[in-house]
This record gives sequence, C-alpha cells and structure tokens, in this order.
Amino acid sequence: MGIILHVLLVFSVLIAIFAVSTKNLLNSVIAMSVFSASFVIIFIVLQAPDVALVEAVVATGITTGFFVITLNKLEGVK
Amino acid sequence: MRKLISSITVFLLGGILLTTFFTMPEGAKELSDYYISSGVVDTGAINLITAILFDYRGFDTLGEATVIFAAACTLAFLVPKQKVHMLSARFSVIVQQSISFILPFLFVIGMYLIFYGHLSPGGGFTGGVVLASIVILTTITFGISYSDRQVRPRVKSLLESFGAIGFVIFGLFGIFAGGAFLANGQAGFDLGIPGELTSSGLIPYINFMTGLKVAAGLSIMFTSLIKEE
Repeated sequence: MGIILHVLLVFSVLIAIFAVSTKNLLNSVIAMSVFSASFVIIFIVLQAPDVALVEAVVATGITTGFFVITLNKLEGVK
Repeated sequence: MRKLISSITVFLLGGILLTTFFTMPEGAKELSDYYISSGVVDTGAINLITAILFDYRGFDTLGEATVIFAAACTLAFLVPKQKVHMLSARFSVIVQQSISFILPFLFVIGMYLIFYGHLSPGGGFTGGVVLASIVILTTITFGISYSDRQVRPRVKSLLESFGAIGFVIFGLFGIFAGGAFLANGQAGFDLGIPGELTSSGLIPYINFMTGLKVAAGLSIMFTSLIKEE
C-alpha cells in the first residue's frame, strides 16, 4: 500500500515536470491527463472513492476534451 | 535570469506549502466526529459525503450549481452561433461503431451514479458530467449538426433551467414544512430505512436535479465553444 502510494507520487511529479517542460502542447495535455489518472489511483489508495470518481470523470475526461478542442481551434497559431 | 527567478519563486512557494502541511494542527475534530457518529441518523444517507454535500452543506452545493449555470449562460450568450463549423477530423467506421456501442452504457452509468448517490460513491455532479460526456462524444464523433438534431439546444436549456429551479423549489419545501432552507431531516421529512433506494428524504431528488443541471450545463458549454463564426 505505502509503496504504491510513494511510487505514484514520484511518478506524478515526473509527469508534471514533463508537462511543463515539453514544447509540444498536445504532449503537455496528454501528460496532464496521465497525471490525473495517477491521482485517481492515489485517491483510491487513500480511501476517497468520491473524489476519485470526480477526478476520473472531470480531470481525465472533460478537461482533456476541452483542451484538445481548444488546440484544434488554435491550429494556425504558433 | 528569468528562469532563475521563477524557479526560486517556485521552490520558495513549495517550501512554504510543505512546511505548512507538516506543521498543520489537528484542528477541530468535534465536527467530523459528529458527522461520522450521527450522520446516518440525521440524514438517512449511508454515503456520508452525499449527506454533507446535499444536507448539512446544501447551500454550498447550490452555490456551486449556480457557478455552472452562470458559466453556461455567459457562454451561450457570448459565443456566436449563426454558422456552425466543425473540426476537420474524420473518424473511421470503427470509431463511430464503438462510440455508438458505448453510449447506452455511459447513460446507465450516469443514471446509476445520480440515483444511487446517497448509497454508494457518486452523486449529482459526477453523474451529470458522465451524462454530459455522452453529448460531447457524439459531437466529436458524428459532428455538431447530428448532435444538435439528437439533443436540441432548446431541450438542453430547458433541462438546465428545470434543474436549477427544481433545486431551489426542493429547498423551499424545507421552509414550507417548518424548517430552514434545504432542511431535510430537521423539517420532519420521512427518512425511510437507511440503505434503501427511496430513503433519506429529499436527497435523491436534489441529486437528480443537480445531475440534470450539470449535464445540460456542461453540454451547452461544449457545444457553444465548438461553434465558430
């Protein structure tokens, strides 16, 4: 239990650093989605299933969708 | 130079937050102890988070619902919708078939999360977002005109207003029954047996109204944002 939690915490920090430092915006959005997915497991390990559900649906699903649509609209802009 | 300054700022902020986290006092535990020990008796809901969200702190939930309502109204008012322009992406038959296969299951999951919000993890907000994702998936896969034909914008705005007004009316029931606004067990409503589907007084109905509101509001936001002049 503790090992899973610590591995996921370190992984989420690495993913966050990657999301900030990458040049490609689409990579950054997908990295944020993976970050949220690791947080879903962290919340389940910490026994908060309600928050995990909200995180899974909102942060991993809806937010990624909105960001991808926005990037699609900004295609010509550099 | 700028990178150095910003990294120093980030490390300083992170250090402050970390020390705050590690030196955090235990705080007042009486309130959470009270919720845990007598929440089921007070509200009739097994899921204590729903009990807090829709009974003890129902007014805060009304505020959150108002935020989504205001955002959807502003977007629908600001974004022009004369000409509909869709993304240039074209999907293969496999994607379209699998999406249309998934949609009924998504609907069932969303409705389950809304109606069993007081029994298991979930609730109006989560279920509403799942229901909104049906409209979003349809819009992305089949195009905006098909999605607007399936769920008309007029129906969506009607559902959102219905949910918002229904939430307030269910709150007013508490006043009519002699309690406070959004009162449930205190106003003398029948709480039923904890663990049954029709238990815990007004909580399932308020959950349903919130779910309708969030689903309609998020899909209105998405369909307004995807349109273009």
